Amino acid sequence: MKKLLAVLLASSMVFTLCACGSGSSGAAETTKAAEQSAAQSAETQAEAETTAAADDTVYKVGMVCIGNDNMAYDRNFYMAADAAKEELAADGINIEWVYTYDHPEGDPVASDCEELADSGCIAVFLNSYGMEPAMLTVAGDYPDVVFAALTNETSKSDALENTVNAFPSIYEGRYLAGIAAGMKLNEMIEKGEIKEDEAVMGYVGAYTYSEVVSGYTAFYLGAKSVCPSVTMLVEFIGSWGNPAIEAATAQDLIDRGAVLISQHSDATTPATTAQDNGVYSVGYNISMTDVAPESAIISSRIDWTNYFVYVIRTIVEGGKVDQDFCQHGIADGSVKLTELNEAIAAPGTAEAIAAAEEKLKSGELKVFDTSTFTVGGQTLESSMIDMDADFQPDSQDAVSDGFYHESFYKSAPSFSERIDGITLVNEEY
Amino acid sequence: MNEKTPLIRISKRENAGKGYIWFVRAMAFLFALLLSCLVFAAAGADPVEAYGTMISGSLGKKSGIRQVVKTAAPLLGTALALAPCFKMKFWNIGAEGQITVGAMAAAFFAINFGTKLPSPVLLTAMGIGSMVLGALWAGIPAAFKAKWHTNETLFTLMLNYIAIGIVGWLQGGPWEGKQGSQVIPNFVEAAVLPKVLGVHCGWIIVLILVVFIFVYMNYTKQGYEISVLGESENTARYAGMNVSVITVRTACISGAICGLVGFMVASGANQTLYADVADGVGFTAITVAWLAQLNPFAMIIISLLFGVLSKGASSLQTGMGVPSSVSEIIKGLLLLCLLGCEFFINYRLTFRGHSVGEKKGCE
Repeated sequence: MKKLLAVLLASSMVFTLCACGSGSSGAAETTKAAEQSAAQSAETQAEAETTAAADDTVYKVGMVCIGNDNMAYDRNFYMAADAAKEELAADGINIEWVYTYDHPEGDPVASDCEELADSGCIAVFLNSYGMEPAMLTVAGDYPDVVFAALTNETSKSDALENTVNAFPSIYEGRYLAGIAAGMKLNEMIEKGEIKEDEAVMGYVGAYTYSEVVSGYTAFYLGAKSVCPSVTMLVEFIGSWGNPAIEAATAQDLIDRGAVLISQHSDATTPATTAQDNGVYSVGYNISMTDVAPESAIISSRIDWTNYFVYVIRTIVEGGKVDQDFCQHGIADGSVKLTELNEAIAAPGTAEAIAAAEEKLKSGELKVFDTSTFTVGGQTLESSMIDMDADFQPDSQDAVSDGFYHESFYKSAPSFSERIDGITLVNEEY
Repeated sequence: MNEKTPLIRISKRENAGKGYIWFVRAMAFLFALLLSCLVFAAAGADPVEAYGTMISGSLGKKSGIRQVVKTAAPLLGTALALAPCFKMKFWNIGAEGQITVGAMAAAFFAINFGTKLPSPVLLTAMGIGSMVLGALWAGIPAAFKAKWHTNETLFTLMLNYIAIGIVGWLQGGPWEGKQGSQVIPNFVEAAVLPKVLGVHCGWIIVLILVVFIFVYMNYTKQGYEISVLGESENTARYAGMNVSVITVRTACISGAICGLVGFMVASGANQTLYADVADGVGFTAITVAWLAQLNPFAMIIISLLFGVLSKGASSLQTGMGVPSSVSEIIKGLLLLCLLGCEFFINYRLTFRGHSVGEKKGCE
């Protein structure tokens, strides 16, 4: 019996450790990164002291992260946080970022929010959609702290005044990245590598979530604007990030005839799989040129710097933060493209992107121009969206003046139409 | 002195005194703290400051204490649930799944009847539903064991993954809010457990359970049957006890309490349902139960200690930038020392050359 007891104890400890250990990665690496960022922040602080000393207060700002600094998705937020800190310091507003890591949802997120609010943070940013429900369970207890649920959309309709949302207009970046893809396809057609009807793109999608649908549709329309014969296959993987599944899915798309891969998922494996197969790729979140130099042409990404600066400055100056950060995209730098991989991009790509970018900024070009696509063979006349967070698309018609008003009535992407030319390989997620 | 005498001999220690037992445990605790200093130092944090941050973060302010209680309540409830099973030597390691199905049953009522029933009725339905489903989830492996002598350890463990899988499917399927989001919307106000002193009232429920389990285990016929069966199945049979009935009944009680914990966590803390709702509590509670030697009152202390550790760990992360993985190492060290020191309570080490040598502490 004692032996059995010993075995049980041992196994329970293993389970406990496993249960605790999952999600968090190498302690040493994280520590190293923390040291580095500490060193960086020391430098920035020193700079700030020399430039402007209007206010000695150092404001604490919190961020709850779904992953840690080893993940491409989270790294994009850290980079923006550091940039925002520098930008604010130049104006005499000194801030200090406080992070919590590796908590995707549920009570751990609620505890993080409490911990950060307790430690004196003036604002707490949550970097993933799944965190908002947990945040809402505690935000009411801290009316003086602004809780910003990034990429969410219920703040306007919830009863709390101190919850805000933001979602920069990433579809504009997707469209421009699509132009780079279309240019590449054109080049392949001209060289005779593929026929016109073989201009097939493959897209690794996370879920059938409107953010993903909006993203791949914008990407496709960008490509189609330069390469009219293009078609696209989309395959959903049922995860926001899973290197192995993303790679397998990219491979499947290539086997189905895709000659260019893009993605809405967190890993870089779609790009590396594309390179292994000798096809091209367009990435997301970060530049993938360093991991797949012969394949990755360009990536689009959200730059959160503007939003961080806006929220923190507004709070410090005693203003009221807008509950929904709407219509901020390529024009004000909230959405960006990574550096074009000139070595493999088709000639004229940079110019084509720049021209489209100017038109987007001036409003002359609309990404979801209803004259450029059809749904079931028909022109899209009407498309209702949900504004009151009851998940019923019945509140507002987003189509008017000849285009779908994406991220116009609310910041979160809402485009959910299945347009012609795009084939969904599966739809179960 | 015979040359063949080994350097160290291990012999059984009979009836160690209470004072000695607590001395060993205190030394083990201190030893773990010292070992953790090395870990802190390796991670580049001042150990004294780190311990200070952990204590002040968890016990130094009201909100810290609230979170400690919020963390400790499900641990305590689950450890209590496991006690009768373990006493019976029925190795239920399926608490994780029983919590999950309990939460699922609670969510079923919250989602489908949230706006149709008054809050007290709704909460009662959620509680009863979670207990029934939790009992079922533990009862199935118990019935198989009683009927066909299947291995309950594996069976309960496997059922965990099934429960988590089902919730994962609900989350992305029928109960999903926005399409593709994998998020079930928060419960309506009526389906949320009210707060008492700033924490959802689950902590009162588990304190009542402490008394219930204590009385049940020590002063009832069923509790006596459990301990007899745990000591020897043949004795139980000889005494005319129905082993099958006791096995299934005890497992069902255990599962029902786990289910109730699931209801508390989903309704009180999360106010929604997601696949990771049990969050390892079902496994950690095994350690809590054994550290407390299955004593319900000791479990209160142990689960609070876990609460302090976990809140302290998050304070470390935000206050000193110590990564959460370091806190997990510290937690692991503490568990290892506290469980490992039981060796020095049950056995004595005799060194060559010392006829009655006593080695104290935990190394």
